Amino acid sequence: MVNYLIVLFAVTLVYFASAERLVIYVKLIGLQGLLLCGIALFELKEVNTANLVFIMAETLVFKAFLMPYLLTGIIGSSGVMKVHRQAMPGFYLLLFSILALLSSVILANALENPFVNTIYMVIALYSLFTGLLLIVTHRLIISHLIGFLILENAVFIFSLAMGSKMPMLINVGILLDIFVGVLILGFFGLRLRPNTNELTRLKD
Amino acid sequence: MSISVIILRNKTLTKFITGSFALLHILFTVYCWLNLNRTELTYFTFNSPGVLLLSVLSLLLIPTVYHGFIYASGDDTRKFNTYHSALIALITFMTGAYLANGMTVLWIFVEATTLAVAVLIYHDRTESALEATWKYVFVCSTGIALAYLGILFLGFIYGREDAATLSFASLSNIISQANPLYLKVAFVFVVIGFSTKMGLFPMHTVTIDAHSVAPPPISALISTTLMNVGFLAIFRVYVLFSSSSVLPFMNSVLILSGVLSLLIAAGYMLKAKHLKRMLAYSSLENMGLVAIAIGVGGAGYYAAFLLLVLHSLSKSSLFYQMGQLSRVLHTFQLDDCGKYMKLYPAGALVLITGMVCILAIPPSGLFITEFMIFKGLVFNGQWFVLISAIVLLCFIVYAMSTRIMHIVFSGPRKGSGPEIPDRLNPVETLSQFVFLGIVVVMCFYQPPFLVDLINQSIAILPV
Repeated sequence: MVNYLIVLFAVTLVYFASAERLVIYVKLIGLQGLLLCGIALFELKEVNTANLVFIMAETLVFKAFLMPYLLTGIIGSSGVMKVHRQAMPGFYLLLFSILALLSSVILANALENPFVNTIYMVIALYSLFTGLLLIVTHRLIISHLIGFLILENAVFIFSLAMGSKMPMLINVGILLDIFVGVLILGFFGLRLRPNTNELTRLKD
Repeated sequence: MSISVIILRNKTLTKFITGSFALLHILFTVYCWLNLNRTELTYFTFNSPGVLLLSVLSLLLIPTVYHGFIYASGDDTRKFNTYHSALIALITFMTGAYLANGMTVLWIFVEATTLAVAVLIYHDRTESALEATWKYVFVCSTGIALAYLGILFLGFIYGREDAATLSFASLSNIISQANPLYLKVAFVFVVIGFSTKMGLFPMHTVTIDAHSVAPPPISALISTTLMNVGFLAIFRVYVLFSSSSVLPFMNSVLILSGVLSLLIAAGYMLKAKHLKRMLAYSSLENMGLVAIAIGVGGAGYYAAFLLLVLHSLSKSSLFYQMGQLSRVLHTFQLDDCGKYMKLYPAGALVLITGMVCILAIPPSGLFITEFMIFKGLVFNGQWFVLISAIVLLCFIVYAMSTRIMHIVFSGPRKGSGPEIPDRLNPVETLSQFVFLGIVVVMCFYQPPFLVDLINQSIAILPV
């Protein structure tokens, strides 16, 4: 079952590369949160119940609902529905995404380890590359934020891979989630325009 | 103390609490010196490199607090208290990062510094401050996530239930049996991630923007003690892996990162029009040299630590002086600055002395460190790195010296300068002269307690 969830997670990453509407991005982030909750439930059987409940609650509340809710609010207030027209076209991004998947498979196999399931490694690396691709190729701040959330999910999958042995690593990883919360709240608080692509006041 | 400053809402009390905090911090550093290598509260050890960099922080604390009082004196009580609350929090987090004895604890404190610094960068509430804060938080968050991936790779190597804290001591026992590819991946992630804090290539941009808008006393901390935090995080992993077969790989990564940092610093310093950005690029240059020094190995290890200490003293002096310069000339733009020697001779002397010190021109103590690095490069036969570094440093010396000399002696390129320049008391420059004096003295004499502590910090590394 857990393998199906992981493969489904990979499908969402492919979809990220081809989608251009921000609302799709938000839905995919929510879906990834739900999938991570499921993966945590199946994977962390050896962790004590209280810790498992905490981790699942965090993924469900924070990743699956709170984040998409906040992002929907940002999109609603900015009125921007699609990624910036100067962003890399979806087709090329898809090609890069496939390249990233192949690289992830090769790298994960090179990094075979008795403590870690290789499929986790593949998807975590793929998620990492996809997040970085979105940050690098897109122009809008909101796209960068979504790229960062994908990258953060990659960190969570990595920590899940070790979670049964070292639950402390997941708890520390959750700190990163809280940090993202502050990031997004700061985004609201500082009233930076999410549709801006002109953060160029500071330059030489 | 940080919370009490926010709650009390009284400027005088805030000054008293912040001053007391600075004194307590100095006493704590003395306590650390007296109890070297002792572990407290399970997660903190008063280890040599940590205590050395903690001492630098303590040394900078009084002038930073003093210049902070002056900088924020015109602010309303809320803004004044927020500034000092964030400052106390930042110093506490940096102290925690210096003394952490495990990777996860170190990471948590480094993550926490980002939040405190963000508040301080946004202090002036301008559009530029907003942009710099956003960039700082976003890039640091990405860097921190990547650094955490590096830590997770350490976890993969260990894979045991008793490794909850990933302490350096527990990891050092199993590194020699680990898969070298894991070590390489972990090290690359750690270098990229913590380079946001160290201000090193490839994530150097974040600190450059932060410097241009942060209050000068905060720039002094970001450019010195916070960069030292980033260095320490990378150095801890370097020390951990140094007994394995990946040592040459780590050295290559650091030297590459260092040379590219020098290249970027040289390129941008030649076109810098903003004084604080120019100093920020100078920090990038010095961190590049630190990375090269570690990559060189041998005497380079000693040079790296001495360079960090002396760079902290010189650069903080220059940033404190930038605060005074902006009060006299009301600008940081190079084209609008000039005749500083006439307007504020004490400040102009600090600028000239600081320039000599930071550019490693004898009798600056930094000259000794650069000499040791170049000697190491010659000894290793790394001629390409040596020639690249020397050529790039020539550009940097030219760019910085022409700009500083212009400010001190020439008239402004645009306009005629401020109509009624503010007059400042020369006593305000006292701490800057003391720090620069220490840097000069270090060229001829390095006190045994400092030499011993640096040698203890690098004792475990291969010769």
